[in-house]
Amino acid sequence: MNHIHPLVKLLLNLYYITLAVSFHRYDVEGLLAMFIYPVACFIIGELSLRDALHRLRVVLPVVCIVGVFNPIFDHTVVGYVGGVAIWGGVVSMITLMLKGILTVFATYILIATTSIEGICYALRLLHVPKMIVTQILLIYRYITVLLAETKRITQAYALRAPGQKGIHYKAWGPLVGQLLLRTMDRADDLYESMLLRGFNGEFPQGKPKRQSAGDVIYLLFWVILLFILRTYPVLTLIGGLFV
Amino acid sequence: MSHIHVDVEHLSFAYEKNTPILKDITFHAHENDAIGIVGANGAGKSTLLKLLVGLDMRFEGSIRVEEIPLSNETLAKVREKIGYVFQDSDAQLFMTTVEEDVAFAPRNYGLPEDEVQRRVDKALDKVHIEQLRKKPIYKMSGGEKKLASIATILSMTPDVILMDEPSVALDPKNRRNLIHVLNEFDHLKMIASHDLDFILDTCNRVILIDHGEIIADGEAREILTNEELLEAHGLELPLSLYGR
Repeated sequence: MNHIHPLVKLLLNLYYITLAVSFHRYDVEGLLAMFIYPVACFIIGELSLRDALHRLRVVLPVVCIVGVFNPIFDHTVVGYVGGVAIWGGVVSMITLMLKGILTVFATYILIATTSIEGICYALRLLHVPKMIVTQILLIYRYITVLLAETKRITQAYALRAPGQKGIHYKAWGPLVGQLLLRTMDRADDLYESMLLRGFNGEFPQGKPKRQSAGDVIYLLFWVILLFILRTYPVLTLIGGLFV
Repeated sequence: MSHIHVDVEHLSFAYEKNTPILKDITFHAHENDAIGIVGANGAGKSTLLKLLVGLDMRFEGSIRVEEIPLSNETLAKVREKIGYVFQDSDAQLFMTTVEEDVAFAPRNYGLPEDEVQRRVDKALDKVHIEQLRKKPIYKMSGGEKKLASIATILSMTPDVILMDEPSVALDPKNRRNLIHVLNEFDHLKMIASHDLDFILDTCNRVILIDHGEIIADGEAREILTNEELLEAHGLELPLSLYGR
């Protein structure tokens, strides 16, 4: 998957997310069928599910609790399971959860198989203004700087606060202030380093990738398949064959 | 051999009024010089280097690089000629991998991709880190980062190289490697450091700075063996000269 043109992956990702979030709030079955895309990408791209779950361990729970209040507000009965009424709120909570998971996984697949430079290159091909693309790249760089500084500060704190769990709230203010000042200094240094190497407002791209016939076939295949999955109740149809 | 010289005349600089960092600095760096700028902490070594590449333009006096006066108008031209290696490699490396970082400058200068790759190969080869080409920056050791930082500058094919405390945080092996790499360069070099052994190994000329003023400017061995002079300005003899 790393060899597929970044533009193809980006477009496909946007298309997939758009389709996934467009399902009706009670359409659990349709959303389940959409799992074929991340599953196939994990297999083709040889991505590790375990690794993905580990990396997404913070995001996924947040995504899952987004619809947690739906059962309280929506008591519409949408069906029965073994004589027990199923509220629309419960179903919509599940669909929201599924939409979130699908969106997060699709984005993860894009990031895991495409470099940030590739994604930004694709954005430039889509005529996204260079200022915005550069901002995305700089933010991406800045995150690592911020994380590194955060790690240093928290380690320094922990070493002088043995046995203490976390950071005492009284130290939050100075620590955050320090973090901000340090990262600003570091960001200044990085910017100076870029200027000294001829940075003129746009990140240079390497050799432009050319789209191949394989890229187009890959894109068309998924566009058609996902459209079918979005339009027809494929799982019901397949289930009907066995009933 | 590059044929660039740098002339600094009556250079003064202050971040805040009444607290001058550099006072009336004048020196001429010739094309074959390897200059060690030495001084105790806070002497103004790093500031001097930063001014030479125009990272702060609020100075008084003049800086000329190959007859080009450093000003806002000539900044880009001067920076093409001068490579600056930061003290902290983490402040210098910002791309994802070594290869991308080394290619950053040549690509910015609009060179064709074949030439970019040629320069990347050559720069990595010069500092002997070809094997690190694809390595993510965040996974590298301090020594590897330092060498990668130098490679990012070499790919610009500068005529002058400025280095701020290049030996900081290097283990003996990487330090030796860096000395070897620097001595191979046929560029005008200016190295700011208070590691006098390192300066002794890499420079033929030394400028001693204290409280923003040039105290001595001359042959490296002559200055670095002058114990009285060094101690008067917060420095000590290089360790390698002790007991001789």
